[in-house]
Amino acid sequence: MKKIKNIYIFLVLLFLYLPILVLVFFSFNTSKLNIIFSGFTFKWYKELFMNIDLLEAFRNTLIVSITSTIISTVIGTISAIGLKKFDFKGKKIINEILYIPIVIPEIVLGIALLSIFTLTKIELGFFTLILSHISFSIPFVIISVKGILESINPNLELSCADLGANSWQTFFYITLPMLMPGIKSGAMLAFTLSLDDVIISYFTAGPHSNTLPLKIYSMIKGGISPDVNALTTLMLLVTCFILFISTYIQIKNMKTGSDTYE
Amino acid sequence: MKKKLLILPVILYSIFLIICPLIYILILSFLKSDSYGGVIFTLTLENYKELFDFVYIKIFLKSFVIALVTTLFSILISYPFCIFLSSKKKIVKDIIMTLVIIPFLTNSLIRTYGVIILLRKEGIINNILMSLNIINNPLKLMYNNFGIIMGMTYTLLPFMILPLFASVDKIDKNLYSAASDLGANKLKIFKEIILPLSIPGLFNGSLMVFIPCIGFFFIADLLGGGKLMLLGNLIKNQFLTARNWPFGASISIVLIIVTFILVSIYKKLGGKMEDLGGM
Amino acid sequence: MNKKILLILILLFITTGCTKKDNELNVLNWSSYIPDSIINDFEKETGIKVNYGSYSSNEELLAKISTSKSGTYDLIFPSDYMVELMIKRNLIDKIDKNKIPNIKNLNKNYMNLEYDKNNDYSLPFLLASTVIIKNKAIIKDEINSYNDLLNIHYKDELIMLDDQRIVIGLGLLALGYDMNSTNINELNEAREFILKIKENIKLFDSDSPKNYLISKEVNLGVIWNAEAALVIKNNPNMEVIFPDDGFAISIDNFCIVKNAKNKENAYKFINYILRGDIMAKIISEYPYKNVNKEAEKYLDEEYLQNKAANIPDDIIKKGIFVKNIDEKIKLYDKTWASIK
Repeated sequence: MKKIKNIYIFLVLLFLYLPILVLVFFSFNTSKLNIIFSGFTFKWYKELFMNIDLLEAFRNTLIVSITSTIISTVIGTISAIGLKKFDFKGKKIINEILYIPIVIPEIVLGIALLSIFTLTKIELGFFTLILSHISFSIPFVIISVKGILESINPNLELSCADLGANSWQTFFYITLPMLMPGIKSGAMLAFTLSLDDVIISYFTAGPHSNTLPLKIYSMIKGGISPDVNALTTLMLLVTCFILFISTYIQIKNMKTGSDTYE
Repeated sequence: MKKKLLILPVILYSIFLIICPLIYILILSFLKSDSYGGVIFTLTLENYKELFDFVYIKIFLKSFVIALVTTLFSILISYPFCIFLSSKKKIVKDIIMTLVIIPFLTNSLIRTYGVIILLRKEGIINNILMSLNIINNPLKLMYNNFGIIMGMTYTLLPFMILPLFASVDKIDKNLYSAASDLGANKLKIFKEIILPLSIPGLFNGSLMVFIPCIGFFFIADLLGGGKLMLLGNLIKNQFLTARNWPFGASISIVLIIVTFILVSIYKKLGGKMEDLGGM
Repeated sequence: MNKKILLILILLFITTGCTKKDNELNVLNWSSYIPDSIINDFEKETGIKVNYGSYSSNEELLAKISTSKSGTYDLIFPSDYMVELMIKRNLIDKIDKNKIPNIKNLNKNYMNLEYDKNNDYSLPFLLASTVIIKNKAIIKDEINSYNDLLNIHYKDELIMLDDQRIVIGLGLLALGYDMNSTNINELNEAREFILKIKENIKLFDSDSPKNYLISKEVNLGVIWNAEAALVIKNNPNMEVIFPDDGFAISIDNFCIVKNAKNKENAYKFINYILRGDIMAKIISEYPYKNVNKEAEKYLDEEYLQNKAANIPDDIIKKGIFVKNIDEKIKLYDKTWASIK
């Protein structure tokens, strides 16, 4: 029975990883066809780095992801604190609204943003792309930061104020450091979401702001070829790298956290 | 007073980047389109009437069936996986769940591409099966509904496993042994204990699989060979090629309503909003 | 430390991203129509930076032009009926022919046509035609008509353009109707016909149908002639057919967008492309039918002998233009939705 269980778990993982592994494997194949492995090569990777279009798309992706992550992390963090600390009319409604970008199909958000940009005559480009990435990232940051806020002991802030610290000092020396793990994981999530987004970018990107996922989409539509494998492998590497860093930060936080507060 | 400024960004954000676009879509859905793809500002119910045309009802039904089958497949694959995994040591659980999260965070387009490499006529699976002489002619694994459902299931499976595992893992393992001491068989344990206790996770996962399914136009395009028009493709076409934005908007409004109904059922069943989205 | 590096990186990216290039040209063209090398050569020769975007249907082009801020694009390549529609909608500007001396290179047969009688707004770039292509080695029967595609033995062997006007038009032609019909009964009949053919269709694809034929995923198709020509180049067993029922032809044109910011550069670009040697290079890479007299001198035997690429004039005469049908397009939209 135990064996069956292990085999089953393994099979599900295989199902999840086989397409990815095959794709990575064939990116090193000398033959142009993704069928038989005929020899090892870095040729396709070299070609990628010669392709100006791709490099430009990569640059665009970084501009959009980094900018939207920074903005949504800042807004998300402030918002999480604000929503936690203040009661105001309509707070409940705001809390509900924040889940809309998470639950509605991406395509609906994409066309809604496209329509409003067109209505307000904002030219499609980096600005609209960043704005739309912010709009789907912020809720994730807020939820992530809120999760940590719930676990913070409010007395800590109060006692800090008792000791004569003003609210800014309390914020920068007590609240912010304690929120850091939530902020960091929220930022990581926002970054990966932005890096991988296809559907919303498809509608809100302009002529000069093609991102890498959009480029990949048009390449895949053009058919199977090893340079697409190489490109997607690199994208996978970037995602894994971010994941690795975020796990590393988490582990480090857990360690230092237990050191300080024990 | 100044502290209240902290809530200003979230209010501005909610209004300008969520509410305004959605309200505009709502308004758009009651407007007319001219033949050149522009919008005429006269109110009409025509777009919604048009939705009841048999042609579009069929597209709605097809999309919902595909999404439903995908959800069922994901449930069937995930349940045993989560139950089996919950009996493992903590470290094993952590490692395997991390392995599930990695594909969850990688680009769905890239993963779809991987599926194409496996499934096409000259693809890996057909090649292996042919060289082992298991089959003589290549199997038709893609450019049909099977391909679309496989692609969707593959892409969305982590969205099912993550919440489902969270709720299955929470169940006290002593309950199982107590039940089997009382003579309950495995099926009975599942029906009487696991299923009722994991309903929120199950519905959470189903929601996170079902809803994106409807919008993934590129999976239907790439794995279905452009033969099947799903709601996502229909909306995309209305906006990018057919130039009928108001009609596309009315389809989107229906999708939003469907989403809200599903979410409220989820809440009725005791689900929490903050658990959605794989958080 | 890390943060500083990150900050510098961000600043670097943002500043390079925002640098305004004054000497540029924003081109919006069909995907794979002009090879990158030609664009690069043009950039080197003139110092003009070409920003190149692409679209995969006339309708997508129209959507892009009518929804983007004016001045976003300079030069576009709409087909005949779209030129007519864009003139009506006041989306494109008159061309100052004095600025394009190489106009003299164009073949007069393809000028002054119905859609733009004096070529005030458009200049022909190349001609495309739909063709049937089959792999002789696998599909042995004779195919002369779209009706022949209904053969039950061709299940999952057929690829078709993912284009509603072409596919529905093909159904209309097969039934003996006008390819641009807006008669609802005829359209319904055409739909039934296409639904029957759909049993044989493996996939609809407009982006790169040649790949599926080259890899033998399918062995029969209705695709654009240049794609067919490339398939034949790859596999001599492939044969091109111009069906008796008729087929669609389309002339793609240079057009300058209203309020274009870089008109002078657009003229320079058009003039450059119209050079015989340059046009010949484009045509040999993407073998559509050439409409440039001067380019004929530079075309090689391979192109001239390929019947899918260098379509004989008497065949071209049988081709039918896709026409602008204004708001009746909604009939096609709906028919298309019910086919899929």
